[in-house]
Amino acid sequence: MVRKSGKPVQSGRYFRLCLAFGAVLLLGACASTPDSGSVPQDREVDARVREPAKQDSEGVQVFPLQNPAVKELLASAGNAESNGDFGQAATLLERALRIQPRDPEILQSMAEVQLQMKDYGQALNFASRSYDVGPRVGEICSRNWRTISVSREHLGDHGGAAEAEQKAMVCMKTKPRSL
Amino acid sequence: MVKGPGDVTRGETITLMGERVKKKAATRKKSGKATSPGWTGRLWRLGLLLTGISLGLLVPWVVYLNYQVTTEFEGRKWDLPSRVYARALDLYPGATITSADLETELELSGYRRSNPVSQPGQYRISGSSFEIFRRPFRFHDGAEDAVRFRVRISADTVADITAVPDGRPLDLARLDPAEIASIYPLQKEDRTLVKIEDVPPLLVTGLQAVEDRNFKHHPGVDLRGVLRAVLANLRAGKAVQGGSTLTQQLVKNYFLTHDRTLARKFNEAIMAVLLEIHYPKSEILEAYINEVFLGQQGAYAVHGFGQASLFYFDQPLEQLAPRQLALLIGLVKGASYYNPRRHPKRALARRNQVLAAFAETGLLTGPEAERASSANLGVTPTPRSRGTRYHAFVDLVRRQLAQVYREEDLKTEGLKVYTTLAPSIQEKAQRAVATGVQKLEDRGLSAELQAAMVVADVATGEVRAMVGDRNPDRSGFNRAIHARRQIGSIIKPLVYLLALEHSDDYSLVTQIKDEPLTLKQADGSNWSPSNYDGKSHGTVTLLEALTRSYNQATVRLGLNIGVKNLINRIQQLGVTAEVDAVPSVFLGAVELTPLEVTQIYQSLAAGGYSVPLRSVIAVQTEAGEELVRYPLRMLPQPRREAIGVLNFALTQVVEQGTAKALPGLLGRTAIISGKTGTTNDRRDSWFVGYTRDHVAVSWVGRDDNQPAGVTGSNAAMHLWADLFSQMPFQSVDLRMPDNAFWLWVDRDSGYRTGRTCEGAVEIPFVEGSEPLKSTPCLGEQEKDEESFWRKLFGKKKR
Repeated sequence: MVRKSGKPVQSGRYFRLCLAFGAVLLLGACASTPDSGSVPQDREVDARVREPAKQDSEGVQVFPLQNPAVKELLASAGNAESNGDFGQAATLLERALRIQPRDPEILQSMAEVQLQMKDYGQALNFASRSYDVGPRVGEICSRNWRTISVSREHLGDHGGAAEAEQKAMVCMKTKPRSL
Repeated sequence: MVKGPGDVTRGETITLMGERVKKKAATRKKSGKATSPGWTGRLWRLGLLLTGISLGLLVPWVVYLNYQVTTEFEGRKWDLPSRVYARALDLYPGATITSADLETELELSGYRRSNPVSQPGQYRISGSSFEIFRRPFRFHDGAEDAVRFRVRISADTVADITAVPDGRPLDLARLDPAEIASIYPLQKEDRTLVKIEDVPPLLVTGLQAVEDRNFKHHPGVDLRGVLRAVLANLRAGKAVQGGSTLTQQLVKNYFLTHDRTLARKFNEAIMAVLLEIHYPKSEILEAYINEVFLGQQGAYAVHGFGQASLFYFDQPLEQLAPRQLALLIGLVKGASYYNPRRHPKRALARRNQVLAAFAETGLLTGPEAERASSANLGVTPTPRSRGTRYHAFVDLVRRQLAQVYREEDLKTEGLKVYTTLAPSIQEKAQRAVATGVQKLEDRGLSAELQAAMVVADVATGEVRAMVGDRNPDRSGFNRAIHARRQIGSIIKPLVYLLALEHSDDYSLVTQIKDEPLTLKQADGSNWSPSNYDGKSHGTVTLLEALTRSYNQATVRLGLNIGVKNLINRIQQLGVTAEVDAVPSVFLGAVELTPLEVTQIYQSLAAGGYSVPLRSVIAVQTEAGEELVRYPLRMLPQPRREAIGVLNFALTQVVEQGTAKALPGLLGRTAIISGKTGTTNDRRDSWFVGYTRDHVAVSWVGRDDNQPAGVTGSNAAMHLWADLFSQMPFQSVDLRMPDNAFWLWVDRDSGYRTGRTCEGAVEIPFVEGSEPLKSTPCLGEQEKDEESFWRKLFGKKKR
């Protein structure tokens, strides 16, 4: 527990530091895996949501059983996303949501696609829904709150962003009360 | 192509084509007789003069015709009806669907039972498995090829899907959707465009063999063809061949009015030649194939082979067998005279004549033609319905599209409209409404009852079904969208929601008074609400007051909440109706439509994630380019923890409140949230209920708003139950969001208690509203186990 709770705090500070250097530097400094480079785009979603969530979640992982149809659609959506075709990714995720409307993974993926489409309001909403129906713990929980944090920041709610970042760290430590 | 207002409808036009042949032969003969030799020089001079004048006139005339031909043909564009599709049914292992529903969906998508399954559009059922040959289709998110697979259904669930014949398991397969409506152009032409490179080669060659054998070589008019036709007709003693080239036929249909004068024949010939000068044969033939009149479906003229193929065989053109192509080619001569559904004998003879021509020209071998001739016509008994199948829903679609498109575009641009309708649910909803209202009348409630129903997907807000009239085939007044009626107790949950949002003051176990009260109204009169049973119930909990729908308790609670706050909350939930801020609003003196009520309850059912209800997902052009998409967008409500708690309270309405007859009507036990609504003098009956996946609202009443003898539970709930008794469904999602949690409390005192204590019930609380006192029994239990609540509290204090 101590190890896990310590880590996110560090990475949180690191992020704020990175922010000061702007997006380009942030990309280079924060992303632990270099961008593929084939699609020129803002990889904020990797740098500020996925990677740190992955790092945070070592040891606390929740792997929900996934319907193979959903898996297939998520994979296709992932491909569309990495080709920069966010509209198609969103369409595929929507189809997946018709199959499993309460799947936190689909909802969070949608939030991340919205983030890349710069629709921060919807990114926030999908991430929040994902949290509500999700495990509220582990990597996906961290992605939920980090997405909320980034979205709030873009929407000008800096206090809310900081609060969400704190919540992201709690994802790694405790089991939420309502489970 | 742009059509003048004076244009005759195509229907009339080409129906005359059969006669055309005879008339033309007559015309030619007459003109032959008219050539009398000139004898005198005067006549010669006159002749020369006339020739000069006519040449002088002819040149500008040809120039004019040339202009007409090139501009119109260059920018040619048919008015194409827009097609409205239902949602595409996704099939995947684990999908919930009954065999009966899958069959309904297949039939409504125009699939036909066949054994063996050898062509796209066919299916068969053996035991619990369906073999389906899915047609190629352009879905809103991309095109998919034809695919053949087997779906095995077990216990109302797709057990597996395997490809046929290789047996490879498939994770996901979808059906091409049912076409639920076509929005037609004013000319009432129905047409499905085809490209020349996609049509069967036999159509291209066969048309020439029958209509214009010299098509490849003539310059637009074909004197040899005319001669041959005349000879053939003389030999046969009747008109068997036409002398017009395909180009002339096209010109006639395309550019000219349809009077049969010599002048028109003259223009036709010149324009045909001009057309040939400017455009390749393939383009002319493609236009012909899409233009020619081939039948009539009600008020709509069937134009072109693409549409004719669907109309007569319910198959795409590229899948037709030679005998089917022969039938269609035969129809060029006279689609009404040879109508295969009305005059099968004539049609058969004509088809075989065409097949003989195929054999004569070597397109088929003798035996092939022979075999084809002995087959029956193979025409479907009735054409697939192209009119609007689900009026109320299509009405909703038009309403949504009207925000983006002019009606005119919908009628002419051949748009593809992909909607959210689930045909199997729609069919059931229609039946539930029609039979349900009839039963109510038989029970003697009132005559002239009307009803409406809306079914939507909880999480996506997609409207799955809509009924706007007890007779679903009637297309007039759509009550689901337009009937604005008082909603009665349907509003009460919102009063309680506001209370629960005030977690310092209220929880479901808070006690309130159900006692008489009198309020002074704006007009000075007094208002004393009474309860449905005429009694007052003293001190009751919020939960009891809501589940039993007590009026006096609700008004008292409402007065503490504030009517303005209630009205604001309704608006926050997505309904913008104007409401007078009077206390009777607490009891539902608010006029809303069934669709608006659905919108409000979608928000609740989705745990506070409002989604604007949608009926259209995407619109594409004829060519498949996306014009507009309506993506899923969520608008989270504030205080979702209170909505979570309210969802539970509404399950208690069904469990032990005013809707407790529902499980019996459904014949099934499941956790369902619901609320009944009745208005003054039993004018309106409402029921709104939701399962995990669907929210549905039903309304029953009279159009003239007279007392109808209906209550929420005696009428609308029956319709709702009839629908859901035929649908697989799952219990509502009662997981609480953050800031709400479950506690065991004592049923009578509302104190916290242990789960094994007597009178213990588990109830959700918004954080901060949980009871502070506990029963002695809880203390006993806590010695043995650390209570859930204690854990929570421990955390909170930390």
